[in-house]
Amino acid sequence: MLFFRSEDLIVEWCRDRGIAPRPLVNMPQLWELAVTWYADRLTLDARRPGPAEMRRIFARIGLEGPFWDPEADVFA
Amino acid sequence: MDFDTRVKLAVYRHFAGTGQAPQLADIADELKGTRDDTRAAYARLRANRVLLLEPDGEVIRMAPPFSGVPTPHRVEAGGQTYWANCAWDALGIPAALRQVGVVHSSCGQSRTPLRLRVGLEGPEPSDWLFHCQVPAARWWVDLVFT
Repeated sequence: MLFFRSEDLIVEWCRDRGIAPRPLVNMPQLWELAVTWYADRLTLDARRPGPAEMRRIFARIGLEGPFWDPEADVFA
Repeated sequence: MDFDTRVKLAVYRHFAGTGQAPQLADIADELKGTRDDTRAAYARLRANRVLLLEPDGEVIRMAPPFSGVPTPHRVEAGGQTYWANCAWDALGIPAALRQVGVVHSSCGQSRTPLRLRVGLEGPEPSDWLFHCQVPAARWWVDLVFT
């Protein structure tokens, strides 16, 4: 899970490793993920989202499809 | 509050206060538990995907978003230095601390340095991107690789 300066550099990085580029995530989307996963991490009520909740979180910010499905087996 | 929750909170509060992973003995002493009890709690927290441990079962490698070892993703917040496990966790540290922070990282391909200020409402405007190679269903198969 890395930062990249541009989409072209992601494509280069993937080509160098012989892998397909994955869905792109912009900074506002990444912030939403960071807050959703971690904003309560230091509190008594902290818990990790379950699979169905993860799908809803990803879909809410426009990240859909089997890549973001925690129970998908198409990449196994 | 059950013992595992107390251990989890103590671990996370140690990371938040120091930027470093706690020693198992320190957590045991703080909670007035034994090392064996604390080690067993660590194992259960690992099984529940709360902590990632080194093979000895005592050293904490990750308490996401915090890393117990230096990484290419450094976060400065509240006068403290933190290490994040990945780009996602680099934003996760200011989110968890609920503090303004600055992320220091670099482009995975060009190595161009990234300095990103993160406020309480999110990062400053930036056209940098995040890319994850591993699909969500496999993140915890090898979390260090992910």
